[in-house]
Amino acid sequence: MALPDLSRRQLLGAVGVGVGGLALTACGGGSLGDDDGGDGGGGGGGGGGGTIRVGLVIPQAGVYTPLGVDMQNGWDLWLEQNDGKMGDFTVETVTADEGEGPDTGVPAIQQLLGDVDVVVGIVNSATALGVAEQFAEEEKLLLITNAGAVAITGANRNDFVWRVSFTNAQNSAAMGEYLATQDIGSVFIMAPDYAAGQENVTAFTAAFEGAGGTVAGSALSPFGTTQDFQPFLQRAQSSGAAAVFCFYSGGEAVAFVNQYADFGLKDTIPLYGSGFLTEGSVLNGQGQNAVGIQTTLQYSTEIDNEANQAFVEAYQGAYDVLPTVFAMSTFDAANVLNKALAEAGDTSGTALGEALGGLGTIDDSPRGPWEFEDQNPKQTIYLREVVDEGGTLINSVVEELGEYGTV
Amino acid sequence: MSAPARPTTPAATAPAGGSSAVPGSRRSRGRAPLRAVPALAVLVVLALVPYFVGPDETDILSRVLIFGLFAVSLDLLVGITGLPSLGHAAYFGVGAYTAGLVAEHWTPNAPVPVLVAAGAGAVAAVLTGWLVVRSDGVFFLMLTLAIGEITSQLALQLDDVTGGSDGLFGIPTFRIGGEPLRLEGYRYWYVLAVFVITFAAVWLISRSPFGLALRGIRDNEDRMRSLGYSPFRYKYVAYVLAGAFAGIAGGLFAQFNRIVNPSDAGFALSAITLLALVLGGAGSLWGPVIGMAVVVVVRDYYGPDLGGHGPLVLGIVFVIAVYVLPRGFAGLAGLGALRGRRRGAVSAHATDPDDPGSGAVPGTSSEERPA
Repeated sequence: MALPDLSRRQLLGAVGVGVGGLALTACGGGSLGDDDGGDGGGGGGGGGGGTIRVGLVIPQAGVYTPLGVDMQNGWDLWLEQNDGKMGDFTVETVTADEGEGPDTGVPAIQQLLGDVDVVVGIVNSATALGVAEQFAEEEKLLLITNAGAVAITGANRNDFVWRVSFTNAQNSAAMGEYLATQDIGSVFIMAPDYAAGQENVTAFTAAFEGAGGTVAGSALSPFGTTQDFQPFLQRAQSSGAAAVFCFYSGGEAVAFVNQYADFGLKDTIPLYGSGFLTEGSVLNGQGQNAVGIQTTLQYSTEIDNEANQAFVEAYQGAYDVLPTVFAMSTFDAANVLNKALAEAGDTSGTALGEALGGLGTIDDSPRGPWEFEDQNPKQTIYLREVVDEGGTLINSVVEELGEYGTV
Repeated sequence: MSAPARPTTPAATAPAGGSSAVPGSRRSRGRAPLRAVPALAVLVVLALVPYFVGPDETDILSRVLIFGLFAVSLDLLVGITGLPSLGHAAYFGVGAYTAGLVAEHWTPNAPVPVLVAAGAGAVAAVLTGWLVVRSDGVFFLMLTLAIGEITSQLALQLDDVTGGSDGLFGIPTFRIGGEPLRLEGYRYWYVLAVFVITFAAVWLISRSPFGLALRGIRDNEDRMRSLGYSPFRYKYVAYVLAGAFAGIAGGLFAQFNRIVNPSDAGFALSAITLLALVLGGAGSLWGPVIGMAVVVVVRDYYGPDLGGHGPLVLGIVFVIAVYVLPRGFAGLAGLGALRGRRRGAVSAHATDPDDPGSGAVPGTSSEERPA
């Protein structure tokens, strides 16, 4: 009876939805999937004097958003100071949001990869590890400006993935060796229970015990879900340790430092940490509770060299806040990419990789001179202490702890 | 986007009380050839995609199919059997890790990793379903939630096997006869082939007497029990099948994405897939695929360029969709069916759950809109 009507509607509906969906996905561009995908690395070589398309992959949503803002600022500042040019190339920046983790970061980068010559950025180590091999397949350069997993430039290294930031092991190893020489007694270790936390704990323990220190114990707190650190602090206290070393960052760093003070440990058991404990915006949340904490990092706004003074001044002038290590890393990535482009005169990953390998010492970086070792920075690690300077908390430089490369 | 089949009979479309268990397919059997036309048309369009669509968009479509397949497997539980699982991603994750490990350590040759992943998903569902399926209501929700969380925690803790929070990375892409599928178009075709086969399997299951019994259990478990069916046995088998199909989707995902992370077995994926079911219309099988398409396109295609507003846009799309399409996309297509039935003087009350509530039928939409 009414069935013919019904069927026609259904047919129209289904086809309509199908076509609509296809149109939705196709409206971004329309080259042939096969041909376009086939040129692989060939698409990378833009001619000299042309433009270079750089994908800036930073977190714009989620818990890492403040890092993303700093990274964008560092990148923009360098381009502004250099008229938007690297080598002979005019830079076109395509910004993409990596989100919190690899579930959003990996598709974002996969999609960006076909569209740009070089990718800069990436906060999350799992995201970086997830895409590293695809850069080798596409023969394009990836310059990592944060993600610290040792494996990225360690066991799973390929020629197209370079890092200008740090490895998780560097800062903790430097602190371990330093504390062992300070005769401060046994140390309790705390970190969140995930890859970066574990890498820091391993590196610190190896360096500290290797130099004669004694570990009183360690506690790994569940990552991302721990708001109450009291049970862990209790263990630190009852272990009889003379000091605590920890690796926390972001929201966890704020909660940990505040609870450390609230628990009454601040004045009895000195707290040491990897530099991210007191870097950037977390200091605002920690306030006076952070004063006196000593950390190790490859950067501080207080490093005394010409490049850093100019960088800090320009950054403050442009954004009205102090730069962070995240801003510095991305600023430095632009600097290094510029040198490589000038050297190579070519945007292909192979040429740029070779150029990066031949750069030698980079002597105009805000962090002080450094060089690539195994595609990863060999750099000075600074011992820093949080001080209150007229109401502003800063990480003053106590001491240079020497150069650390592949740990 | 893909609708290999569309329900037409009241028994197929409408969760219409106990009557849905009665196979009312005499009329529809005669119309089968005509019904297949839209499905075939969609299939042809999908198969031609790589000729017309750029590599990025092709990859996004592959993602749509992979996650769409996962949504279909969840629909078998939620829409067909009436088991609202909050932890279905566990079986997706088990399949993904299994396929990843198989591809890395044994062979990336299709279809081995996907088949092993299906087996792993089924085994995981056999082990957990035994307990889960016996529970009801809130207990079922809590148990499935726990299974999802335990699975992603295990993935995090067993870092020797899974890579922990760094993820299982470096998974080789699909290979056919030893030849890696490097081009987006070929990868897409492989994903499409697996999708079509699996979708057809789920569709056949849902239309089989077994599937009709599942619908019956969904609508009135006590009545089915009194008719001599064992609801536990039916639900258990459905749960295991859904686990296997989720494993297949996970297996495709591992070799497509090249990295598997603990979050791929976690609550976020389960939640976003339930969202896709609501968006598309649970129980129709093809509706959730379209729902998932919206989610994936917003999140992965437009999301990265939205300056951090991707999640917000997805939320807005969801809210709008719930208002405009309370029965999801599948409800849109049900509009015609409803009108037809009304004209045919079939009692509106018996078939109304199908009502899309989009205002097309004055005077009834408000009372039928789900709260």
